[in-house]
Amino acid sequence: MANLEIIEDEFKERDASLPRETEIKIENLCVTFPDKNGGEPIIALSNVNLEIKQGEFISLLGPSGCGKTTLLRTIANLQDQTSGDILVRGLSPREIRLQKKYGIVFQSPVLYEWRTVRRNVCMPMELLGMPKKDRTARVTKMLELVGLMEFGEKYPHELSGGMQQRVNIARALAIRPEILLMDEPFSALDEFTKEKLHEDLLKIWKKTNKTILFVTHNIQEAVYLSDRVVVLSPHPGRVSAVVDINLERPRPIAIKESQEFNALVSKVRNSFEGV
Amino acid sequence: MIQIKKVLSSKYIVTLVWVIGLIILWEIGATVIAGSKRSPENILPHLHQIIQSVFTTNKVNGTQTAFQMVLSNTGTTLLRAGIGFVIGAGIGFLLALLMNLFLPIEKILFPYLMMIQMIPILGMAPIVLAITKDINKSRIIIAAILTFYPVATNTLAGFQSVAKEKHELMYSLAASKFEIYRKLMIPSSLPYFFTGLKISAPMAITAAILVDTLQGGAGLGTVLSQSLKHATTIYIFWQIVFLSAMIGILSFYFMLLLEQTVSPYKKKKKK
Repeated sequence: MANLEIIEDEFKERDASLPRETEIKIENLCVTFPDKNGGEPIIALSNVNLEIKQGEFISLLGPSGCGKTTLLRTIANLQDQTSGDILVRGLSPREIRLQKKYGIVFQSPVLYEWRTVRRNVCMPMELLGMPKKDRTARVTKMLELVGLMEFGEKYPHELSGGMQQRVNIARALAIRPEILLMDEPFSALDEFTKEKLHEDLLKIWKKTNKTILFVTHNIQEAVYLSDRVVVLSPHPGRVSAVVDINLERPRPIAIKESQEFNALVSKVRNSFEGV
Repeated sequence: MIQIKKVLSSKYIVTLVWVIGLIILWEIGATVIAGSKRSPENILPHLHQIIQSVFTTNKVNGTQTAFQMVLSNTGTTLLRAGIGFVIGAGIGFLLALLMNLFLPIEKILFPYLMMIQMIPILGMAPIVLAITKDINKSRIIIAAILTFYPVATNTLAGFQSVAKEKHELMYSLAASKFEIYRKLMIPSSLPYFFTGLKISAPMAITAAILVDTLQGGAGLGTVLSQSLKHATTIYIFWQIVFLSAMIGILSFYFMLLLEQTVSPYKKKKKK
């Protein structure tokens, strides 16, 4: 489905011999929310340390209440940190956001229902001030990329959930973001659609070499997609383990039945604390 | 048997039963009142008499038939209602924008807007008339006053109902306030704005007719009150009642049509 020839200009496949640069560096990050009833503040994230390299596919995995979404939102500058440091390419999350370098894929597609698919994908480019001709060409490319060429003139409510999520991804990629932040993007989709989108996402990721942060509560999903799985545990939200997923790429769907894969799934499962 | 049930439960049957029921009630009423009549004309004429009066060629004031007179005054009233409606809708939208942009304005303004709305039109009309000293201007102003409130409250509700994620998307793309309003808030609240228009369009027309009755000059309300005082034929009264009801309903559908033209995605949703 994903047609990759069309984004030839963005191919920057990594030279494996070069060392990867650090993209995101998180040190002693704490995020607390004030308690609504005036009690003790709630600790959403406690003392998180994490270093993410350029082009890595990282999953933030954990049960609800573990702060995985809070971590993503803090990196995205949608949430303020209480203490600690986050540096993205040497800058603060706020500076990166103002430079429009983030592509965010929300859990719900967040499409503008009064805009057609094409104009939804186009919206971030309008904010970027791209000339109309470039925008049109880019939208066409993006729709081809996510396999929605025939649906450009449809309105969001005319699409299935999986298609809407594809539009969401196309929109996030449209402005050529350096970092793709995905907040449980596939959790509402059925198993078949999800697998298809997994494959497509991996292809897009490989070709564009973007850094991807992927929040999920699904262990299989995290293991299948990621280079590394960051396991978060709740009360208070903290990183309890970082598991390297050294499965060969490209990863066929069948890899999910291999012993190696299942060993990694168990390893990840066993690294949760206090659930 | 099932088919009969289906027919009986259909929307059209319900409407038909209502219409027939109302006609029967009307005719009973007309007959009763005709039997006890004290005025030269029957105050509650039979329906066929009203319909006849529309097509009759008898002149009521030397130059026009009853229906011609009603129609020419309809134009005058509609124009006033229309101007008032457009002004009111514009002010309503701007007020909603201001209230949403500056929270203190909402807090200060909103209770007073509600109070203006609670004053009956007929109580407000003399005040407006005293201020403007011109009946035609006051007719327009009162139509505007009745229009702006539903538009302002509905549009404000529209602004406030924009999903948090949609705001976050704009925020993550570092959109300016102007861009947020242009690309998100205003298009997103359009259905609410139109709900306001749909509520206030018939109200503007009602207001224009009501305020007409206060003073002479042209206008449906003026002719209506003349007719009620037996200065002209009573059929003019009934023609106006039916015609203005129809115009009120049509004004609603006109807004619906306008909405579907402006926001095509809504039309597709209905299919």
